[in-house]
Amino acid sequence: MSEEWRLFKNLRRSVSTAEGLAVDDTLPQSVARNNSPPILHLYTFVPSVIVGKYQDIEAALRLERCKAHGIEFNRRSTGGGTVIMGPEIVALGLGINVDHPRLKKGVGGVFQSLSLVLLRALDKVGIEAYFQPKNDLEVNGRKIAGLSAASEADNCLLFHTSLLVDFDIALMTDIMNTPVIKLEDKGYNCFSQRMTTVRDELGRKVSVTEMIAAIQNSFEEEFSIRFKEDSPDEWEEKTIQGFIEERYTKDEWIFSHRHPRARMGVGQLKTKGGLLEIYLALSGASIESVLVTGDFFSTSEDLHRIENALKWTSARRENIENNIASVWHENMIYGVDVPTLTKAILLAKENQVRL
Amino acid sequence: MAEIKGYNMPDELFYHEEHSWAKVEGTRVTVGMTDMFQKEAGDIVFIDLPEEEDEVSQGETCGKIQSRKWIGKLVAPVSGEITEINEEMEEDTGLINTDPYGDGWILVIEAEDEDELQSELKNLIHGDAVRDFVDREIAKAEEEKAKAE
Repeated sequence: MSEEWRLFKNLRRSVSTAEGLAVDDTLPQSVARNNSPPILHLYTFVPSVIVGKYQDIEAALRLERCKAHGIEFNRRSTGGGTVIMGPEIVALGLGINVDHPRLKKGVGGVFQSLSLVLLRALDKVGIEAYFQPKNDLEVNGRKIAGLSAASEADNCLLFHTSLLVDFDIALMTDIMNTPVIKLEDKGYNCFSQRMTTVRDELGRKVSVTEMIAAIQNSFEEEFSIRFKEDSPDEWEEKTIQGFIEERYTKDEWIFSHRHPRARMGVGQLKTKGGLLEIYLALSGASIESVLVTGDFFSTSEDLHRIENALKWTSARRENIENNIASVWHENMIYGVDVPTLTKAILLAKENQVRL
Repeated sequence: MAEIKGYNMPDELFYHEEHSWAKVEGTRVTVGMTDMFQKEAGDIVFIDLPEEEDEVSQGETCGKIQSRKWIGKLVAPVSGEITEINEEMEEDTGLINTDPYGDGWILVIEAEDEDELQSELKNLIHGDAVRDFVDREIAKAEEEKAKAE
């Protein structure tokens, strides 16, 4: 008989950030301390924006714009960057022991295992996506889902992802404090070239319910398990309430200063292939994100691949060069080579200013 | 320096299963993360450290380490008081990657009592057992790879 996991499925209403994130934080705790099998939580949030555990929220977001739009903001307990959530974006929380036999080992292995489930779910609705190392799922060079995780109690893990069924790019541009704002001034929205949604890909109105069912079935097939629909027990309810009160409604958590210094820089370099214009977001000594733009010749898929290889990596010259080289192919950016692109990124790094 | 299957695992150190290492000098214990950890995790982008003067127990999670979009744990290999934090880490956590046993040290724990420390060290991986530990960790990953294929 196949193993039984628990499923907390909430299709009734979109939840507040405090409620959704508190339930997610409870999942690995319950697996570690409440003798629970793995728990999958599938749900949607009210319109909101959520930063990674170690992000500077005031640097990442334009909080006044969030308030003006009535968008909630909060901080999750897993890594990574800013995500926009809402009633048309599937939120997924999974609590599981890292030693679960069906889970591949190591940081890369776990991300890969969970990616396979999501790829299968996308395939079920008719989308051919692929894993873009190290943490994204893409369709034709555009991001459709991102993954993040945290090791929690004992050997248990909280895994987070969000899957874009539909998405408001204009809203994202307005509330995020990124170099995109400057790009927008030039009438160019880089998000639209780098992100896609289930509805954009299929050209039909796929419901969140359909997508959630596809994810549920994909877990059952990929892990050879079956789900029992369930709701939090008494111990879990108490833990959820604790997280809501002590964490997700507290300014000390939401505006936490336990994060690297956020800085941003722009670098311009004239090359044989054209002008390279680099927008670099730095988190301490690491690259949080980079946008490669300019008037050179390349494809958005190739640019995204380069940008992805640099996300959440060290901003040292040799690391930048090695990470670009790891995905580089000839004429990836026509007339530009790896040392030249590295030089442009280092120029952006030199020009960094505090946000 | 001992290199085991491509991983640098210095002989004189004691290792916790969660990949923190301990360098023992009397009751002063310097702590960092292993070469195997940093190779697996990739570039370390942030480390959330405890405060000096905090008391920690052996096996307790005393810090968090972010690489990629994963937040991992720094587990105290021994009990005692945290007496020093590597302040260089605030500027460049990449030191864990470039020099895990040197400039990439993370903190110092001062053990209260040498006898207690000696008995705790017996719970850690040291000497010949290190090779088995590395073999076990590699085997886990290979088993999974084989299963996947």
